[in-house]
Amino acid sequence: MSARVVWLVAAVAGVIAAIVIVAPFFSPSSDRPAGPAGFAGEPAPVYALRDDAGMPVSLAHYRGRIVVMNLWGTWCPPCRAEMPELQRLADTYASRGLTVVGVNQGESAQSARAFATALAIRYPIWLDDGQQYGRAFTALGLPTTVVVGRDGIVVHGYDGALTYDQLRAAVNGLAVTR
Amino acid sequence: MNAFAACCLGVAAVVVAEMFLPGHDTYHTGWFNVALLALGIAAVVLARREFARARSAGARGAIVAAAFGAAVLALAGTASGLLAPDNRTIVGAPGQRVRVDDLGGSLIYPPADASPIGANAAQTIVLERGARDVPLGERGRIAGSFILRPSLRQVVFVEARDDRGARLTVTQPSGSAFLSPVLLMQQRQTIAGFNVPYDSFAVPAAHRLVRAVMFSEQEASVMHGLSGGSGPAVLFAVDDESDRPLPHAIDAARSGATVGLAGLELRGTVFSYPAVEIVAIPSPPAIVAGTLLLLSALGVTVFARTAPTRN
Repeated sequence: MSARVVWLVAAVAGVIAAIVIVAPFFSPSSDRPAGPAGFAGEPAPVYALRDDAGMPVSLAHYRGRIVVMNLWGTWCPPCRAEMPELQRLADTYASRGLTVVGVNQGESAQSARAFATALAIRYPIWLDDGQQYGRAFTALGLPTTVVVGRDGIVVHGYDGALTYDQLRAAVNGLAVTR
Repeated sequence: MNAFAACCLGVAAVVVAEMFLPGHDTYHTGWFNVALLALGIAAVVLARREFARARSAGARGAIVAAAFGAAVLALAGTASGLLAPDNRTIVGAPGQRVRVDDLGGSLIYPPADASPIGANAAQTIVLERGARDVPLGERGRIAGSFILRPSLRQVVFVEARDDRGARLTVTQPSGSAFLSPVLLMQQRQTIAGFNVPYDSFAVPAAHRLVRAVMFSEQEASVMHGLSGGSGPAVLFAVDDESDRPLPHAIDAARSGATVGLAGLELRGTVFSYPAVEIVAIPSPPAIVAGTLLLLSALGVTVFARTAPTRN
Protein backbone atom coordinates (compact mmCIF):
# COMPACT_ATOMS: atom_id res chain seq x y z
CA MET A 1 0.00 0.00 0.00
CA SER A 2 1.45 3.38 -0.99
CA ALA A 3 2.06 6.16 1.53
CA ARG A 4 -0.57 8.30 -0.16
CA VAL A 5 -3.25 5.62 0.31
CA VAL A 6 -2.28 5.08 3.96
CA TRP A 7 -2.62 8.78 4.74
CA LEU A 8 -5.88 9.00 2.78
CA VAL A 9 -7.38 6.14 4.80
CA ALA A 10 -6.15 7.78 8.02
CA ALA A 11 -7.68 11.10 6.98
CA VAL A 12 -11.05 9.51 6.21
CA ALA A 13 -10.98 7.69 9.55
CA GLY A 14 -10.09 11.01 11.21
CA VAL A 15 -13.07 12.77 9.65
CA ILE A 16 -15.39 9.97 10.81
CA ALA A 17 -13.91 10.15 14.32
CA ALA A 18 -14.35 13.94 14.30
CA ILE A 19 -18.02 13.61 13.38
CA VAL A 20 -18.58 11.00 16.10
CA ILE A 21 -16.83 13.15 18.72
CA VAL A 22 -18.46 16.46 17.82
CA ALA A 23 -22.00 15.25 16.97
CA PRO A 24 -23.24 14.92 20.60
CA PHE A 25 -22.69 18.66 21.11
CA PHE A 26 -25.22 19.41 18.39
CA SER A 27 -27.98 17.05 19.51
CA PRO A 28 -31.46 18.54 19.15
CA SER A 29 -33.01 20.08 22.23
CA SER A 30 -36.13 18.68 23.80
CA ASP A 31 -39.46 19.95 22.51
CA ARG A 32 -41.26 18.73 25.59
CA PRO A 33 -43.87 21.32 26.59
CA ALA A 34 -43.55 23.09 29.94
CA GLY A 35 -45.90 22.34 32.79
CA PRO A 36 -48.26 19.40 33.23
CA ALA A 37 -48.69 18.86 29.47
CA GLY A 38 -45.08 17.68 29.36
CA PHE A 39 -45.98 14.70 31.53
CA ALA A 40 -48.02 12.89 28.88
CA GLY A 41 -46.55 9.41 28.49
CA GLU A 42 -44.82 9.43 31.89
CA PRO A 43 -45.90 7.30 34.83
CA ALA A 44 -47.90 9.33 37.34
CA PRO A 45 -46.03 9.57 40.66
CA VAL A 46 -47.67 7.73 43.53
CA TYR A 47 -47.58 9.45 46.92
CA ALA A 48 -49.13 8.29 50.18
CA LEU A 49 -51.66 11.00 51.10
CA ARG A 50 -54.71 11.31 53.31
CA ASP A 51 -58.21 12.32 52.33
CA ASP A 52 -60.24 15.04 54.04
CA ALA A 53 -61.54 12.45 56.52
CA GLY A 54 -58.00 11.47 57.49
CA MET A 55 -58.01 8.11 55.68
CA PRO A 56 -54.86 7.03 53.80
CA VAL A 57 -55.23 7.25 50.01
CA SER A 58 -52.99 6.58 47.04
CA LEU A 59 -53.18 6.62 43.28
CA ALA A 60 -52.07 2.98 43.37
CA HIS A 61 -55.53 2.00 44.66
CA TYR A 62 -57.05 3.25 41.40
CA ARG A 63 -54.99 1.18 38.97
CA GLY A 64 -57.36 -0.11 36.28
CA ARG A 65 -59.48 3.03 36.39
CA ILE A 66 -59.08 6.33 34.60
CA VAL A 67 -58.25 9.00 37.16
CA VAL A 68 -58.78 12.70 36.58
CA MET A 69 -56.58 14.42 39.17
CA ASN A 70 -57.54 18.02 39.78
CA LEU A 71 -55.06 20.08 41.79
CA TRP A 72 -56.84 22.93 43.55
CA GLY A 73 -56.88 25.42 46.41
CA THR A 74 -59.69 27.21 48.24
CA TRP A 75 -58.11 30.59 47.44
CA CYS A 76 -58.22 29.97 43.69
CA PRO A 77 -61.31 31.46 41.92
CA PRO A 78 -60.91 29.39 38.71
CA CYS A 79 -60.87 26.24 40.87
CA ARG A 80 -64.24 27.20 42.33
CA ALA A 81 -65.63 27.64 38.81
CA GLU A 82 -64.23 24.35 37.57
CA MET A 83 -65.15 21.99 40.40
CA PRO A 84 -68.89 21.69 39.56
CA GLU A 85 -67.86 20.76 36.01
CA LEU A 86 -65.62 18.04 37.42
CA GLN A 87 -68.48 16.77 39.58
CA ARG A 88 -70.64 16.51 36.46
CA LEU A 89 -67.88 14.55 34.73
CA ALA A 90 -67.55 12.24 37.74
CA ASP A 91 -71.31 11.57 37.75
CA THR A 92 -71.48 10.95 34.01
CA TYR A 93 -68.49 8.65 33.68
CA ALA A 94 -68.40 6.79 37.00
CA SER A 95 -69.97 3.69 35.46
CA ARG A 96 -67.35 3.71 32.70
CA GLY A 97 -64.41 3.34 35.03
CA LEU A 98 -63.53 6.98 35.62
CA THR A 99 -62.78 8.58 38.98
CA VAL A 100 -62.28 12.27 39.64
CA VAL A 101 -60.01 13.16 42.56
CA GLY A 102 -59.56 16.67 43.92
CA VAL A 103 -56.03 17.06 45.28
CA ASN A 104 -55.93 20.06 47.57
CA GLN A 105 -52.55 21.77 47.62
CA GLY A 106 -51.26 22.46 51.09
CA GLU A 107 -54.38 23.46 53.03
CA SER A 108 -56.05 22.11 56.14
CA ALA A 109 -58.64 19.34 55.99
CA GLN A 110 -61.22 21.62 57.57
CA SER A 111 -60.82 24.35 54.95
CA ALA A 112 -60.81 21.88 52.06
CA ARG A 113 -63.85 19.98 53.35
CA ALA A 114 -65.87 23.15 54.01
CA PHE A 115 -65.10 24.46 50.54
CA ALA A 116 -66.03 21.19 48.83
CA THR A 117 -69.23 20.85 50.84
CA ALA A 118 -70.28 24.39 49.93
CA LEU A 119 -69.92 23.49 46.25
CA ALA A 120 -71.74 20.13 46.68
CA ILE A 121 -68.63 18.22 45.62
CA ARG A 122 -68.95 14.47 46.23
CA TYR A 123 -65.81 13.14 44.53
CA PRO A 124 -62.87 12.26 46.80
CA ILE A 125 -60.84 15.14 48.19
CA TRP A 126 -57.20 14.36 48.97
CA LEU A 127 -54.90 16.53 51.02
CA ASP A 128 -51.44 17.05 49.56
CA ASP A 129 -49.80 18.76 52.55
CA GLY A 130 -46.35 18.96 50.98
CA GLN A 131 -47.78 20.02 47.59
CA GLN A 132 -45.96 17.03 46.13
CA TYR A 133 -48.22 16.59 43.11
CA GLY A 134 -47.97 20.29 42.34
CA ARG A 135 -44.19 19.98 42.24
CA ALA A 136 -44.11 16.65 40.44
CA PHE A 137 -46.44 17.81 37.66
CA THR A 138 -44.56 21.16 37.49
CA ALA A 139 -47.86 22.96 37.87
CA LEU A 140 -47.71 26.46 36.46
CA GLY A 141 -50.68 27.55 38.55
CA LEU A 142 -54.00 26.30 39.89
CA PRO A 143 -56.13 24.58 38.86
CA THR A 144 -54.04 21.92 37.17
CA THR A 145 -55.69 18.80 35.79
CA VAL A 146 -53.95 15.55 34.88
CA VAL A 147 -55.65 12.56 33.28
CA VAL A 148 -54.08 9.25 34.29
CA GLY A 149 -54.85 6.17 32.21
CA ARG A 150 -55.83 2.73 33.50
CA ASP A 151 -52.16 1.70 33.40
CA GLY A 152 -51.01 4.59 35.61
CA ILE A 153 -49.50 6.54 32.73
CA VAL A 154 -50.34 10.22 32.34
CA VAL A 155 -52.41 10.77 29.21
CA HIS A 156 -53.04 14.52 29.34
CA GLY A 157 -52.00 17.45 31.50
CA TYR A 158 -53.75 20.81 31.53
CA ASP A 159 -52.97 24.16 33.08
CA GLY A 160 -55.99 26.30 34.00
CA ALA A 161 -59.71 25.70 34.41
CA LEU A 162 -61.48 23.36 31.98
CA THR A 163 -65.13 23.32 30.94
CA TYR A 164 -67.25 20.18 31.00
CA ASP A 165 -66.92 19.85 27.22
CA GLN A 166 -63.14 20.09 27.42
CA LEU A 167 -63.05 17.51 30.20
CA ARG A 168 -65.32 15.19 28.27
CA ALA A 169 -63.12 15.52 25.18
CA ALA A 170 -60.07 14.67 27.28
CA VAL A 171 -61.51 11.42 28.65
CA ASN A 172 -63.97 10.31 25.98
CA GLY A 173 -61.66 8.06 24.01
CA LEU A 174 -60.26 6.52 27.18
CA ALA A 175 -63.54 5.88 28.93
CA VAL A 176 -65.26 4.02 26.12
CA THR A 177 -62.35 1.94 24.84
CA ARG A 178 -61.67 -0.80 27.27
CA MET B 1 11.17 10.72 16.57
CA ASN B 2 11.61 12.41 19.91
CA ALA B 3 9.62 15.49 18.88
CA PHE B 4 6.86 13.32 17.41
CA ALA B 5 6.64 11.17 20.54
CA ALA B 6 6.73 14.26 22.75
CA CYS B 7 3.82 15.85 20.86
CA CYS B 8 1.77 12.63 21.04
CA LEU B 9 2.43 12.14 24.74
CA GLY B 10 1.79 15.84 25.40
CA VAL B 11 -1.66 15.61 23.80
CA ALA B 12 -2.43 12.44 25.74
CA ALA B 13 -1.29 13.96 29.04
CA VAL B 14 -3.42 17.09 28.61
CA VAL B 15 -6.59 15.25 27.60
CA VAL B 16 -6.24 12.55 30.27
CA ALA B 17 -5.77 15.37 32.82
CA GLU B 18 -9.06 16.90 31.61
CA MET B 19 -10.66 13.55 32.33
CA PHE B 20 -9.21 12.92 35.77
CA LEU B 21 -8.97 16.52 37.03
CA PRO B 22 -12.21 17.83 35.55
CA GLY B 23 -13.93 21.14 36.03
CA HIS B 24 -11.12 23.70 35.68
CA ASP B 25 -12.17 26.87 33.88
CA THR B 26 -8.88 26.77 31.96
CA TYR B 27 -10.19 23.89 29.85
CA HIS B 28 -12.74 26.20 28.27
CA THR B 29 -10.35 29.06 27.46
CA GLY B 30 -9.40 29.83 23.87
CA TRP B 31 -5.61 29.74 24.35
CA PHE B 32 -5.75 26.33 26.01
CA ASN B 33 -7.72 24.78 23.18
CA VAL B 34 -5.67 26.46 20.46
CA ALA B 35 -2.53 25.10 22.13
CA LEU B 36 -4.02 21.60 22.39
CA LEU B 37 -5.11 21.63 18.76
CA ALA B 38 -1.69 22.94 17.67
CA LEU B 39 -0.05 20.09 19.56
CA GLY B 40 -2.28 17.59 17.77
CA ILE B 41 -1.55 19.16 14.36
CA ALA B 42 2.17 19.15 15.15
CA ALA B 43 1.94 15.43 15.96
CA VAL B 44 0.33 14.70 12.59
CA VAL B 45 2.86 16.85 10.67
CA LEU B 46 5.81 15.26 12.45
CA ALA B 47 4.29 11.84 11.83
CA ARG B 48 4.56 12.40 8.07
CA ARG B 49 8.28 13.05 8.45
CA GLU B 50 8.75 9.97 10.62
CA PHE B 51 6.70 7.94 8.16
CA ALA B 52 9.09 8.83 5.34
CA ARG B 53 12.07 7.78 7.45
CA ALA B 54 10.58 4.48 8.65
CA ARG B 55 12.27 1.37 7.34
CA SER B 56 9.53 -1.23 7.68
CA ALA B 57 5.81 -1.46 6.97
CA GLY B 58 5.16 -2.24 10.64
CA ALA B 59 6.95 0.91 11.79
CA ARG B 60 5.05 3.01 9.28
CA GLY B 61 1.76 1.51 10.46
CA ALA B 62 2.65 2.25 14.07
CA ILE B 63 3.45 5.89 13.24
CA VAL B 64 0.14 6.36 11.45
CA ALA B 65 -1.70 4.74 14.36
CA ALA B 66 0.05 6.95 16.92
CA ALA B 67 -0.70 10.07 14.90
CA PHE B 68 -4.31 8.99 14.54
CA GLY B 69 -4.59 8.41 18.30
CA ALA B 70 -3.09 11.84 19.02
CA ALA B 71 -5.47 13.49 16.56
CA VAL B 72 -8.49 11.78 18.14
CA LEU B 73 -7.39 12.86 21.62
CA ALA B 74 -6.72 16.45 20.54
CA LEU B 75 -10.07 16.61 18.81
CA ALA B 76 -11.92 15.17 21.82
CA GLY B 77 -10.24 17.65 24.16
CA THR B 78 -10.81 20.66 21.91
CA ALA B 79 -14.44 19.73 21.19
CA SER B 80 -15.12 19.45 24.92
CA GLY B 81 -13.30 22.69 25.66
CA LEU B 82 -14.93 24.79 22.96
CA LEU B 83 -18.34 23.22 22.41
CA ALA B 84 -19.35 21.80 25.81
CA PRO B 85 -21.07 24.13 28.27
CA ASP B 86 -19.20 25.57 31.25
CA ASN B 87 -19.62 23.93 34.64
CA ARG B 88 -23.05 24.53 36.08
CA THR B 89 -25.11 23.38 39.00
CA ILE B 90 -28.63 22.17 38.34
CA VAL B 91 -30.84 22.89 41.33
CA GLY B 92 -34.26 21.27 41.50
CA ALA B 93 -37.14 21.22 43.93
CA PRO B 94 -38.00 17.96 45.71
CA GLY B 95 -40.03 15.70 43.44
CA GLN B 96 -39.19 17.82 40.42
CA ARG B 97 -38.05 16.38 37.10
CA VAL B 98 -35.60 18.72 35.34
CA ARG B 99 -34.89 18.11 31.68
CA VAL B 100 -31.19 18.58 30.77
CA ASP B 101 -30.78 18.45 27.00
CA ASP B 102 -26.99 18.03 27.18
CA LEU B 103 -27.51 14.75 29.03
CA GLY B 104 -30.30 13.60 26.75
CA GLY B 105 -32.45 12.95 29.80
CA SER B 106 -33.93 14.31 32.99
CA LEU B 107 -32.77 14.62 36.57
CA ILE B 108 -35.38 13.45 39.05
CA TYR B 109 -34.99 15.05 42.47
CA PRO B 110 -35.92 12.99 45.53
CA PRO B 111 -39.01 13.93 47.52
CA ALA B 112 -38.74 15.77 50.82
CA ASP B 113 -41.62 16.86 52.98
CA ALA B 114 -42.00 18.56 56.32
CA SER B 115 -41.88 15.61 58.67
CA PRO B 116 -39.09 13.28 57.56
CA ILE B 117 -36.87 15.93 56.00
CA GLY B 118 -33.62 14.47 57.22
CA ALA B 119 -34.31 10.95 55.97
CA ASN B 120 -35.76 11.93 52.63
CA ALA B 121 -33.16 14.53 51.79
CA ALA B 122 -30.49 11.85 51.93
CA GLN B 123 -32.04 10.15 48.93
CA THR B 124 -30.16 10.36 45.72
CA ILE B 125 -30.95 12.16 42.49
CA VAL B 126 -31.81 9.86 39.60
CA LEU B 127 -30.78 10.40 35.99
CA GLU B 128 -33.52 9.22 33.65
CA ARG B 129 -32.35 8.49 30.09
CA GLY B 130 -34.83 6.75 27.86
CA ALA B 131 -36.24 3.82 29.78
CA ARG B 132 -33.27 3.67 32.18
CA ASP B 133 -33.19 5.24 35.64
CA VAL B 134 -29.65 5.62 36.96
CA PRO B 135 -29.14 6.76 40.59
CA LEU B 136 -26.24 9.20 40.83
CA GLY B 137 -25.15 8.06 44.28
CA GLU B 138 -22.89 10.08 46.54
CA ARG B 139 -19.84 9.95 44.27
CA GLY B 140 -21.65 10.88 41.07
CA ARG B 141 -21.12 9.25 37.71
CA ILE B 142 -20.13 9.79 34.10
CA ALA B 143 -22.98 10.34 31.66
CA GLY B 144 -21.90 10.77 28.04
CA SER B 145 -19.30 13.54 27.93
CA PHE B 146 -20.16 14.85 31.38
CA ILE B 147 -19.38 14.05 34.97
CA LEU B 148 -22.35 14.50 37.29
CA ARG B 149 -21.29 15.42 40.82
CA PRO B 150 -23.97 15.63 43.52
CA SER B 151 -23.46 18.22 46.22
CA LEU B 152 -25.56 19.25 49.19
CA ARG B 153 -27.02 22.75 49.48
CA GLN B 154 -28.94 24.37 52.30
CA VAL B 155 -32.59 24.97 51.42
CA VAL B 156 -35.62 25.98 53.47
CA PHE B 157 -38.96 24.19 53.83
CA VAL B 158 -41.59 26.80 54.66
CA GLU B 159 -44.98 26.28 56.24
CA ALA B 160 -47.65 28.97 56.53
CA ARG B 161 -50.75 28.94 58.73
CA ASP B 162 -53.39 31.53 59.39
CA ASP B 163 -53.97 32.97 62.87
CA ARG B 164 -56.39 30.08 63.64
CA GLY B 165 -53.70 27.53 62.81
CA ALA B 166 -55.17 26.39 59.47
CA ARG B 167 -52.48 25.39 56.99
CA LEU B 168 -52.21 27.55 53.85
CA THR B 169 -50.91 26.90 50.35
CA VAL B 170 -47.42 28.20 49.63
CA THR B 171 -46.57 29.17 46.05
CA GLN B 172 -43.47 30.46 44.33
CA PRO B 173 -44.62 32.61 41.40
CA SER B 174 -41.02 33.31 40.38
CA GLY B 175 -39.47 30.04 41.55
CA SER B 176 -38.49 26.94 39.61
CA ALA B 177 -41.57 25.09 40.88
CA PHE B 178 -44.77 27.09 41.38
CA LEU B 179 -46.31 24.82 43.99
CA SER B 180 -43.21 24.04 46.04
CA PRO B 181 -42.88 24.90 49.73
CA VAL B 182 -39.14 24.25 49.46
CA LEU B 183 -37.21 27.46 48.85
CA LEU B 184 -34.03 26.75 46.90
CA MET B 185 -32.31 29.95 48.11
CA GLN B 186 -30.45 30.71 44.88
CA GLN B 187 -30.24 34.49 45.27
CA ARG B 188 -27.97 36.38 47.63
CA GLN B 189 -28.01 39.73 49.35
CA THR B 190 -25.85 41.48 51.92
CA ILE B 191 -27.38 42.15 55.33
CA ALA B 192 -25.33 43.60 58.18
CA GLY B 193 -22.13 42.58 56.44
CA PHE B 194 -23.27 39.01 55.81
CA ASN B 195 -23.74 37.83 52.25
CA VAL B 196 -26.72 35.55 52.76
CA PRO B 197 -29.02 33.51 50.50
CA TYR B 198 -32.67 34.47 50.15
CA ASP B 199 -35.78 33.46 48.31
CA SER B 200 -39.42 34.51 48.27
CA PHE B 201 -42.83 32.91 48.26
CA ALA B 202 -46.50 33.83 48.25
CA VAL B 203 -49.38 32.85 50.48
CA PRO B 204 -52.25 33.56 48.08
CA ALA B 205 -55.05 32.74 50.53
CA ALA B 206 -53.77 35.50 52.84
CA HIS B 207 -52.75 37.87 50.00
CA ARG B 208 -49.19 37.99 51.29
CA LEU B 209 -45.73 37.91 49.70
CA VAL B 210 -42.91 36.76 51.96
CA ARG B 211 -39.15 37.05 51.62
CA ALA B 212 -37.11 34.45 53.51
CA VAL B 213 -33.44 35.08 54.29
CA MET B 214 -31.31 32.23 55.58
CA PHE B 215 -28.51 32.68 58.13
CA SER B 216 -25.99 29.97 58.90
CA GLU B 217 -25.48 28.80 62.46
CA GLN B 218 -22.39 30.99 62.75
CA GLU B 219 -24.18 34.08 61.42
CA ALA B 220 -27.21 33.41 63.59
CA SER B 221 -25.01 33.20 66.69
CA VAL B 222 -24.35 36.97 66.53
CA MET B 223 -27.95 37.98 65.79
CA HIS B 224 -29.84 39.72 68.59
CA GLY B 225 -33.18 38.51 69.85
CA LEU B 226 -33.00 34.95 68.58
CA SER B 227 -34.23 32.52 71.14
CA GLY B 228 -33.78 28.80 71.44
CA GLY B 229 -30.29 27.35 71.43
CA SER B 230 -28.21 27.07 68.29
CA GLY B 231 -28.60 26.28 64.61
CA PRO B 232 -29.32 28.26 61.45
CA ALA B 233 -32.04 30.88 61.36
CA VAL B 234 -34.60 32.19 58.89
CA LEU B 235 -35.69 35.81 58.71
CA PHE B 236 -39.14 36.48 57.24
CA ALA B 237 -40.28 39.82 55.82
CA VAL B 238 -43.98 39.96 54.91
CA ASP B 239 -45.39 42.31 52.26
CA ASP B 240 -48.92 42.72 50.95
CA GLU B 241 -49.76 41.28 47.55
CA SER B 242 -48.70 44.52 45.87
CA ASP B 243 -45.22 44.06 47.34
CA ARG B 244 -45.67 46.89 49.87
CA PRO B 245 -43.99 46.23 53.23
CA LEU B 246 -46.37 45.81 56.15
CA PRO B 247 -45.69 47.35 59.58
CA HIS B 248 -44.04 45.12 62.19
CA ALA B 249 -43.77 42.31 59.66
CA ILE B 250 -40.10 41.36 59.90
CA ASP B 251 -38.81 38.77 62.32
CA ALA B 252 -36.36 35.90 62.51
CA ALA B 253 -36.44 32.52 64.20
CA ARG B 254 -34.24 29.48 64.48
CA SER B 255 -34.78 26.72 61.96
CA GLY B 256 -37.96 24.83 62.87
CA ALA B 257 -39.37 27.57 65.11
CA THR B 258 -42.51 29.56 64.29
CA VAL B 259 -42.91 33.33 64.07
CA GLY B 260 -46.20 35.23 63.94
CA LEU B 261 -46.22 38.08 61.42
CA ALA B 262 -49.02 40.07 59.75
CA GLY B 263 -51.69 37.47 60.48
CA LEU B 264 -49.50 34.54 59.45
CA GLU B 265 -47.71 31.85 61.43
CA LEU B 266 -44.53 31.11 59.48
CA ARG B 267 -42.07 28.31 60.04
CA GLY B 268 -38.86 27.74 58.09
CA THR B 269 -36.88 24.54 58.44
CA VAL B 270 -33.36 24.56 57.04
CA PHE B 271 -32.11 21.27 55.65
CA SER B 272 -29.55 19.92 53.21
CA TYR B 273 -30.81 18.91 49.80
CA PRO B 274 -28.84 17.59 46.82
CA ALA B 275 -28.07 19.50 43.65
CA VAL B 276 -26.01 18.28 40.69
CA GLU B 277 -22.91 19.91 39.26
CA ILE B 278 -22.46 19.09 35.58
CA VAL B 279 -18.86 19.15 34.39
CA ALA B 280 -17.86 18.55 30.77
CA ILE B 281 -15.09 16.08 29.99
CA PRO B 282 -13.70 14.86 26.66
CA SER B 283 -15.62 11.90 25.26
CA PRO B 284 -14.54 8.87 27.36
CA PRO B 285 -14.69 6.36 24.44
CA ALA B 286 -12.49 8.72 22.37
CA ILE B 287 -10.02 9.04 25.25
CA VAL B 288 -9.80 5.29 25.78
CA ALA B 289 -9.50 4.51 22.07
CA GLY B 290 -7.06 7.35 21.35
CA THR B 291 -4.83 6.61 24.35
CA LEU B 292 -4.68 2.87 23.68
CA LEU B 293 -3.92 3.43 20.01
CA LEU B 294 -1.27 6.02 20.73
CA LEU B 295 0.53 4.18 23.52
CA SER B 296 0.51 0.79 21.82
CA ALA B 297 1.77 2.34 18.56
CA LEU B 298 4.53 4.25 20.33
CA GLY B 299 5.45 1.06 22.17
CA VAL B 300 5.71 -0.87 18.91
CA THR B 301 7.83 1.88 17.37
CA VAL B 302 10.23 2.03 20.31
CA PHE B 303 10.46 -1.77 20.39
CA ALA B 304 11.19 -1.89 16.63
CA ARG B 305 13.97 0.69 17.04
CA THR B 306 15.65 -0.98 19.99
CA ALA B 307 15.31 -4.58 18.74
CA PRO B 308 18.53 -5.97 17.17
CA THR B 309 18.49 -5.89 13.39
CA ARG B 310 18.71 -9.29 11.68
CA ASN B 311 21.08 -9.71 8.75
